[in-house]
Amino acid sequence: MVENGATTSHVLVIGSGGAGVRAAIEAAGHGSVVLLSKTIAGKGGCTPMAEGGYNAVLREDDDFSLHAADTLKGGAFLNDPALVEVLVREAPERVRELVAWGAVFDVAPGGGVAQRPFGGQQRPRTCYAGDRTGHEMMVTLMDRLAATDVEVVHECAAVELLLDGGRCAGAAALDRDGDLRVFLADAVVLATGGGTQIYDISTNSASGTGDGYALGYRAGAELIDMEMVQFHPTGAIHPYDARGRLVTEAVRGEGGRLLNRLGERFMARYDPVRMELSTRDVVARAIATEILEGRGTERGGVWLDVTHLPPGQVEERLPIMLEQFLAFGVDIRNEPMEVAPTAHHIMGGLRINTDCATTVPGLFAAGECSGGVHGANRLGGNALAETQVFGRRAGRSAGLEPERHRQVTPEIDRQLDALRRRFDGYLDGEVPPHQVIKRLKLTMWRGAGIFRDREGLAAALREVEALKNERLRAATRQNLLECCTAENQCLLASLVCRAALLRPECRGAHTRRDPACELPPDRSPYGHTYLSLAREGIEEVRA
Amino acid sequence: MSRMTIRVSRFDPDSGEPARLVPYEVEVHDGARVLHALHAVHEQDPTLAYRYCCGSGQCGSCAVRVNGKPALACMTPVADGDSIEPLDLPVVRDLVVDLVPRIERIAALVPGDSSDLPDRGTVEEMKDLCDCVECGSCISVCPAVAVSDFAGPTAMRQLERLQLDPRDAGDRVVQARDDGLFNCTSCHACYEACPKEIRIMGKAIERLRAEANRRGFTLPRHREVADLVRTTGRSVVRTETPLFERIDPVIEPYGPVRGEVAFFVGCMYSMRLPRTALDAIEVLRRNGIRVVVPMAQVCCGSPLIRTGQLDDLPRLKAVNREAFAPYPIVMTMCAGCGATLKNDYEDLPFRVMDINEVLTEFGIEPPARLPLTVTYHDPCHLLRGQGISEQPRAFIRQVADLVEMPARCCGSGGGVKSGRPEVAAALGELRREAIAATGAEQVISSCPFCEFHIAGHTDLPVRNVTSLLLEAYRKKDEEAASTPAPSPDVRR
Repeated sequence: MVENGATTSHVLVIGSGGAGVRAAIEAAGHGSVVLLSKTIAGKGGCTPMAEGGYNAVLREDDDFSLHAADTLKGGAFLNDPALVEVLVREAPERVRELVAWGAVFDVAPGGGVAQRPFGGQQRPRTCYAGDRTGHEMMVTLMDRLAATDVEVVHECAAVELLLDGGRCAGAAALDRDGDLRVFLADAVVLATGGGTQIYDISTNSASGTGDGYALGYRAGAELIDMEMVQFHPTGAIHPYDARGRLVTEAVRGEGGRLLNRLGERFMARYDPVRMELSTRDVVARAIATEILEGRGTERGGVWLDVTHLPPGQVEERLPIMLEQFLAFGVDIRNEPMEVAPTAHHIMGGLRINTDCATTVPGLFAAGECSGGVHGANRLGGNALAETQVFGRRAGRSAGLEPERHRQVTPEIDRQLDALRRRFDGYLDGEVPPHQVIKRLKLTMWRGAGIFRDREGLAAALREVEALKNERLRAATRQNLLECCTAENQCLLASLVCRAALLRPECRGAHTRRDPACELPPDRSPYGHTYLSLAREGIEEVRA
Repeated sequence: MSRMTIRVSRFDPDSGEPARLVPYEVEVHDGARVLHALHAVHEQDPTLAYRYCCGSGQCGSCAVRVNGKPALACMTPVADGDSIEPLDLPVVRDLVVDLVPRIERIAALVPGDSSDLPDRGTVEEMKDLCDCVECGSCISVCPAVAVSDFAGPTAMRQLERLQLDPRDAGDRVVQARDDGLFNCTSCHACYEACPKEIRIMGKAIERLRAEANRRGFTLPRHREVADLVRTTGRSVVRTETPLFERIDPVIEPYGPVRGEVAFFVGCMYSMRLPRTALDAIEVLRRNGIRVVVPMAQVCCGSPLIRTGQLDDLPRLKAVNREAFAPYPIVMTMCAGCGATLKNDYEDLPFRVMDINEVLTEFGIEPPARLPLTVTYHDPCHLLRGQGISEQPRAFIRQVADLVEMPARCCGSGGGVKSGRPEVAAALGELRREAIAATGAEQVISSCPFCEFHIAGHTDLPVRNVTSLLLEAYRKKDEEAASTPAPSPDVRR
């Protein structure tokens, strides 16, 4: 409904990936819903790109405690155990729901959803649809969404959350023409996905710009564990413009081998038991170490080889990989892939409880923009499960919020005025956003990458803060969004650096070359790092 | 890094000006895709509007036309001189088209009684249809979409995917019929444009039509054709003395025998356009090719396959297989028959060649030049059904000046001319405009359906490529006869 220029609804969902659409479907059972999508809904975010799969306990020989144990161990025990419990218990229900809604997962020889082994897991637990699992989920969710009354607003990007009396009351957004639009709701679900586009080498779609972290932080929400950035071990490295493109863990799940320039299966040195199917943090560090110590390929990668597998298996289980590499002249049935680590996933995010409530009343969060589920390192296959389990919970919680007045109050008016002044500043600015982003990405890759130390992080933070102060320029109103996005990316980079400086230990994906604490993760005295407008620090657990 | 110039279509809806191609000089890394060149343009000129998202061919946001052909910008290598235009859909600004209304016509699954994952076989069948990234490419090139309310190729793909799915409660066959199932001309432009190479015609539309047939939804005119095939072995009624009554079963060439083909004539050339077939036989004789015409041959089955009426098909296939079994090379000159024999018959004991391939492989005697400017209409079942495009052009260029026009379906295929005459006529009229724009004096093609249909939608003569060759040979003979020292054997 549009009232006085503002679009109002009971629930506003921001983001149209797996978590956002799942939240909207759920919230639709509780009242009117608007789904705000920066892209054409269903095409944005990382869900449609997700290749490998969805973890769920479905078979007799597996159980919730094993999935939970794998997730906690993989997460270096930094995960919020209550969130993990919810994840493992509800993931099977959510995948069955997707099947009931029409998802075409691969079928096991004996019937039912097929599952394959993924890194760091004691059972083959990862459900899949070839290597286009996320795409299949997204198609299914969009089908389901079409059956609801949810109003989908395509290509309109939230740029600021609106606060009223300490509650989140909606969002301001920019449409394709650069016009300001106002959305008011009784409750807001933030499901904006991740943000590793702050790194020079990243698997994320162009929409992975971390808007949710920035919007949440500016609205006063507390974020946890923002230093926890997962570097996926295997990203493409060639050609230059395709660098970072995800080479799915399913390649290793299907039996792919990692080899260095000398032909050594080097994982034997880093994790002789789990080998290529070790957790992502371990494999990424192993590959980075091989390259740093001179055993990488000429182009600075290692080999990922499936040529020993039957060609039919590659064609059936890894069709996207086959297609993508063929497009660049490499037939992976006959030649190895050349890979190196790439920034993939941010484990940290808005602090949520099991109802997906953030620390700001009226604001809920689900999916990659929330924190706590994956701890210090995410298991492959747990992210798609997370989108469904917590997307549904966030939609439900938001839907259960009481109805409110949904009016542009003087307080909201002041926020809109401030936003308009910000826009005027951009139209009057000097520096094109793409220049800032280029510098930001290189800064983060160098200073806040796989291996970190205080000096490098501090230097990166200084550079990020300098970039934040650049006067961004929008050539036309249609370019205002690029400026807003660049600001969000700079803020996210700053949060990552600050959190990384707060954690003086190696933990999961966070590898300090200068750790002040060298206790193993299960005996670490440290809990979450936290950042908000009000406070910053690291939780210390005193045994 | 390399520097290159690309031309990018710019359109501002507020300016009142039409879209125009603007050159930009950009610097890109080796191996760059079109998308990266567009990023470079955007850095120079931030007003450029273009869509993109995943950067890896999985979201379908960035489809554009690269040198006229739909492609995902993120997966297509960029080259110097490339022109980048929006898909042929309503343009919002620059390269951005109004995609959402098209996507909204793609049906959604409606959960029914079953909520279990189907069995493996069903899933394997469905998987072929699940790769679509809804980029809009197929819709943008579909001739039926351009002139009718056809929901589009990918909408049909989805209906077949749902039709196969026991979990879906919708009646997808009825929906397909209502969304224009019988408007598809089987031109395969959708398959050619699809970045995921989904064979929508064969894997969705023909199957839906077969299902429609089982449900009794076959169009009356299509049923008449099937009845005719059942009773006469032919899909058209005779309007002239059929070719088979005009020729001997073995036609020897003039001069030494250089080769032999068994001629699969097809219903149109035998019953409706026998004179064109006689022209072709003359050209073959002139070039030393013996033509054998097995008289037992019947309709190839194409009109039945394209319209989903498969009952009689095994019989037709068996008759034709037996009739042609003794011959190593079977020659077609009907694009539809050729595509059907090549693509819809299994394990044939002979090689099927279109007449353009036969003449190219054996080589032809140089014809005389005619003082003519012609254009060439690509038959869909020759161009996309058999990958034949250059061979007929090479013959034409030896005889006349060739002015190209965009390859686009004339509307005669897929049972559309009989079943949806208004769609066929609308597409025929689009051909009329394209033909007129070339300034040509004649239209040359190589398919009886196209020739017959286009003749009704242009005032120019429409001729087969072999008829043009024959005229050029006759002129050559006349010139030789009028010269002072004629060769003792003018024929060869």
